[in-house]
Amino acid sequence: MPGNSTHRIVLQPTGAELRAPAGTPLRDPLFEQGVEFPCGGQGRCRGCRVQVLEGTARVNAAQRERLSAGELAAGWRLACQCVLEGDLVIELRQWDAAILADETLFAFKPRSGLGVAVDVGTTTIVAQLLDLETGRVLAVRTALNSQARHGGDVMSRVEFAISPPGQAELEGLIRRQVGALIAQLLFAAAASPKDVCDVVLVGNTVMHHLFCGIDVEPLSHYPFVSSRNGLETLSAGQLDWELPSNTPARFLPCLGGFVGSDILAGLLATRIGESDDLVGLIDLGTNGEIVLGNRRRVLCASTAAGPAFEGARISMGMRASTGAISQVTVENGQLRCHVLGKTEPKGICGSGLVDAVAAGLDLGLISPSGRFANGNSEWELCGGVVLTQRDVRELQLAKAAIASGVSMLRERWGGADPARLYLAGAFGNYVNRASAQRIGLIDYPPDQVQPAGNTALLGAKLALFSLDGEDGAYAGLRKQVEHVSLSADPHFQDIFVQQLTFSENANVCH
Amino acid sequence: MTVLDELKEAIINGNAPAAKELTQRGLSDGRRPGEFFPGAIIPAMDEVGRRMRECEFFIPEVLIAARAARASTEILRPLLVGEESVRPAGTIVCGTVKGDLHDIGKNIVAMMLESAGFRIVDLGVDASPEKIVEAVRREQANFVALSALLTTTMVNMKAVIEALTAAGLRDQVKVLVGGAPVTEAWAKSIGADGYGKDAPAAVELARSLVA
Repeated sequence: MPGNSTHRIVLQPTGAELRAPAGTPLRDPLFEQGVEFPCGGQGRCRGCRVQVLEGTARVNAAQRERLSAGELAAGWRLACQCVLEGDLVIELRQWDAAILADETLFAFKPRSGLGVAVDVGTTTIVAQLLDLETGRVLAVRTALNSQARHGGDVMSRVEFAISPPGQAELEGLIRRQVGALIAQLLFAAAASPKDVCDVVLVGNTVMHHLFCGIDVEPLSHYPFVSSRNGLETLSAGQLDWELPSNTPARFLPCLGGFVGSDILAGLLATRIGESDDLVGLIDLGTNGEIVLGNRRRVLCASTAAGPAFEGARISMGMRASTGAISQVTVENGQLRCHVLGKTEPKGICGSGLVDAVAAGLDLGLISPSGRFANGNSEWELCGGVVLTQRDVRELQLAKAAIASGVSMLRERWGGADPARLYLAGAFGNYVNRASAQRIGLIDYPPDQVQPAGNTALLGAKLALFSLDGEDGAYAGLRKQVEHVSLSADPHFQDIFVQQLTFSENANVCH
Repeated sequence: MTVLDELKEAIINGNAPAAKELTQRGLSDGRRPGEFFPGAIIPAMDEVGRRMRECEFFIPEVLIAARAARASTEILRPLLVGEESVRPAGTIVCGTVKGDLHDIGKNIVAMMLESAGFRIVDLGVDASPEKIVEAVRREQANFVALSALLTTTMVNMKAVIEALTAAGLRDQVKVLVGGAPVTEAWAKSIGADGYGKDAPAAVELARSLVA
């Protein structure tokens, strides 16, 4: 094919560049990038809509039906209905700029063949193909969890699952999606399916159950305990994946309650269970997970922080993508907002929200109770993006959930403070640590807090190399870990209420 | 400012020691226990409810205000016996439904209802339909107020209504429901008598149903 008949597609906000021949359905190159087509590319839903920032993409009848005249005029299109007719710069609605795919170096024991490590997140799935001999990452694919249309958080996923045929549907979705991601990884690395000898998956307890076909009903109510929490080994044949049918797929065991193998993998990655010092690990997700431990014992807990850190339920909240205020600082008493993608601000993402409230507290615009000091109901940050009183309240709820979890685990350690705290996950990597301390989300000085990246994926990769010694059940480590049910503790509500407020002083030290 | 006005202020500001002291001072000045409710406690909690709705007060402020109100009612309640004018507006059995441990919202509603003059029988969290039926019978309740914070436990509200019906008590009580995932439509679909979108709404609802 002559070079001049290919076109360039730039995906915002990541800036990723793709090339595809003229006349290619836009769907094909986007699908390879992990973009989801919820209705199967039939133009029946709006799930794949993109905004054309530069270039043109023609509108057809299906798009006129699903998009308003205003949306069409603003450049919105259904990606599944467009054909590539020229260079394009587009922004994906479903794209999450902050998806982390770990590339940290790690120690490994070489073995032959290829392995796949998969972090099955409630929101995001990340898969890596590895050469088990060299430890090299051959390909990475990320996608939004295709179950997400049936509920954003674990509880709504459980709710969908418990009325038949919900569980079967969610199971089919995730199994097919991981299978497709593996096929894409192999395609991208020009590797053969027959060389794949191992697949390791990690995720929270709900993801574990839904993937492995275990009834989630026990997770729908108090005491939220499932009896089947262990390592589950399935075969590629059972899963209908395009791999040799006896290739094992192992979903690593859960730790208790909603704390799953994503945190077990986090323990493998951070080696908290081997540490002399007391060390913490916090995954700041919708379902916040907290670990505090050392070589003697490891305590873990989960706490429902809600989606505020991801910009959800915030009046002008949005994901960390183009147009989001991602940082707010105070310079000479003036607010400065950093907007992703250097455009006009459209909203605010989680890291911006934490910064903004920290700034409001320092400027005396927000009182320690969380109330706007001047009695206003909203506060304009910049370019028409405002923070409302209700937004501050949402953040107070989210930060109190995390902070009370940390405080309660700390209490069980006799009030000892951890020497180090690792922050896992996308938000943990981007949040300003000084602001997180200011609002009391992570009540430790920034130099004690380390962003640790995607520890779940890193741990899953480590498991690929250590599985040959054992089966992946991690009996020893699981024995060392104790799950603490926070909500069952009679003090939880009191501590939670205490943690709802902010501290008076700008410089809190322990 | 009368002692009742001062008491009202103390409750709104969440000052429990002051509320206690003012109540005692009012009594030793010769005020009847029944005067404190319409004169201070009820208007104070109505104001707290208003501020909560406006987002001016958040959970901690509401809880400390309710605690201050309780410091006052704890002194008054034993003295109310026999005082005709202040018979409780009704008896409310409340609780968070089975399988759910969320406490805070239910506590706020219970304390506001209590301050509004209702007698509260709080069954706590994870309250089974059997336990609720038993309490309704034992306490001769005329209201059941149910809370749920999870979409997966909200279904247990329906189980409570069914259990009340099966026990032949459904006509004796009005069932009120609330909690983050609960909606008006849901309340209707399970045959509840009312839905309160927040604590002040629950108080208004209970008042309208006794009127």
